[in-house]
Amino acid sequence: MMDTSMNRLLTASALGVVLAGASVSALAAPPDWSKVPAKTITVFYPGVSPMEWITKGTEHGGARALRKGETCAGCHHDEAADMGKKMVSGQKIEPTPIKGKAGSIPVAVQAAHDGTNLYLRFVWKQPAGGAEKMDKDNQVKLGLMLEDNKIPGAALSGCWETCHGDARTMPGVKDDKKTKYVKDGSLTGGKFYDLLQWTSKGGKSDGYVADKRVMDGGKALAEARGEKKGDEWTVVFTRTLAGGGEGDIAMASGRTYNFGFAIHDDHAAGRFHHVSLGYSLGLDAKADVSAARQ
Amino acid sequence: MADQEREATKQAGALSRLWRWLRRPSGTTTVLTLLVVGFASGIVFWGGFNTVVEATNTMTFCVSCHEMRDNVYVEYKETIHYSNRTGVRATCSDCHVPRDWTHKMVRKVQATRELYGKVMGTIDTKEKFEAKRLHLARREWARMKSVDSRECRNCHGFEGMNTEAQKPRAKRAHELAQRDNETCIDCHKGIAHKKPEGMTEEDED
Repeated sequence: MMDTSMNRLLTASALGVVLAGASVSALAAPPDWSKVPAKTITVFYPGVSPMEWITKGTEHGGARALRKGETCAGCHHDEAADMGKKMVSGQKIEPTPIKGKAGSIPVAVQAAHDGTNLYLRFVWKQPAGGAEKMDKDNQVKLGLMLEDNKIPGAALSGCWETCHGDARTMPGVKDDKKTKYVKDGSLTGGKFYDLLQWTSKGGKSDGYVADKRVMDGGKALAEARGEKKGDEWTVVFTRTLAGGGEGDIAMASGRTYNFGFAIHDDHAAGRFHHVSLGYSLGLDAKADVSAARQ
Repeated sequence: MADQEREATKQAGALSRLWRWLRRPSGTTTVLTLLVVGFASGIVFWGGFNTVVEATNTMTFCVSCHEMRDNVYVEYKETIHYSNRTGVRATCSDCHVPRDWTHKMVRKVQATRELYGKVMGTIDTKEKFEAKRLHLARREWARMKSVDSRECRNCHGFEGMNTEAQKPRAKRAHELAQRDNETCIDCHKGIAHKKPEGMTEEDED
């Protein structure tokens, strides 16, 4: 009898230790970033280059390569800074250049996971600015989008699939409510981008872009934390692999996803951001950015 | 009436006398003299003909018409075919006139139509030129396409191209073009002049 009680007690204690361990795992700390390789991705000022522009051969010579299945990054990865310079200065496809705005920002991107969470870290140096504040509350915002290989073209043109000439802040568009969207986008059909955002004011959003952009509904984003030390920003996203909310993709080891991100620098809003080309993000899989299990 | 008939008979008589003279063996001139004079005259005639043809191939000749000077020439002067780091310049005829003799002569004969256009003033104002630009460009694109961009390939060619030395964008595009048997003009429309208004996606295919 005594032995049985003791056994029960020991079992309960052991279970407690295991549960405690599990809860520690759920709140797992981000990995040791000094051991995670970083990939430099240059985000650049895109001017007015919506989907309609990049697919128009008379305007964009690369439309031909895109039709043949070439990725934007395949041609432009190394020249993103040059492109940004041309557009931010108004030399090309920017009718209203903003004085003093950076043409591009090189960002060190790191990714890792622990079987439960995906960790994404972005580090960049704050460029010069001083333009009129469009978003007074936030000096900086960082948004990233993930796509689960359902949207044709997402693997080629990344976030451009959501960028259209009739969206708000595009030249000549009066409708201030028209957000970015995916052509024929549908949440139920899986044709959407999972959208995560961090704001320097301290906010975080977990939404999606389907037939329109929605800034909530997701349950995947556990944490989005950013800080500025000196002139250097560091932003870390912690996202559960499982997702489970509205507009959350479920992620698994061995798979790759389409991935892109944007920085709204210097209080920018709408299209006046710096964007990355489309890249692939792999979980224990070869990709442009690979997240290995830590 | 009788006068006219007499005049016609007189002319016919002169022609037949000339023909008879030409067919008559020379009784006073040596064969050597005939050969030398004939050869020398041939050289002078041929040289003169060639000089005139080449004169019509110069940029000075092309821009002597304001239709070219005020429109396409101005645009061309801003491009790499006019000014570049190596100093090699491609002039109008390098791109628009075939280099080998046979095709050059065919093109020159075709170009006499442009004299008619010049006289009629079909593109003698900016507005008329712009209205006609797409039509003219399409004709030239079709010509270039039909000969596999022969004039481009007088200087450029995939055989001598080191894509590794190119920017990634150009490298990829040239690799794809070779794979798909495309020709220079498929992608390089507008390389020396601005693209015409009203150009369609079919024009870029």
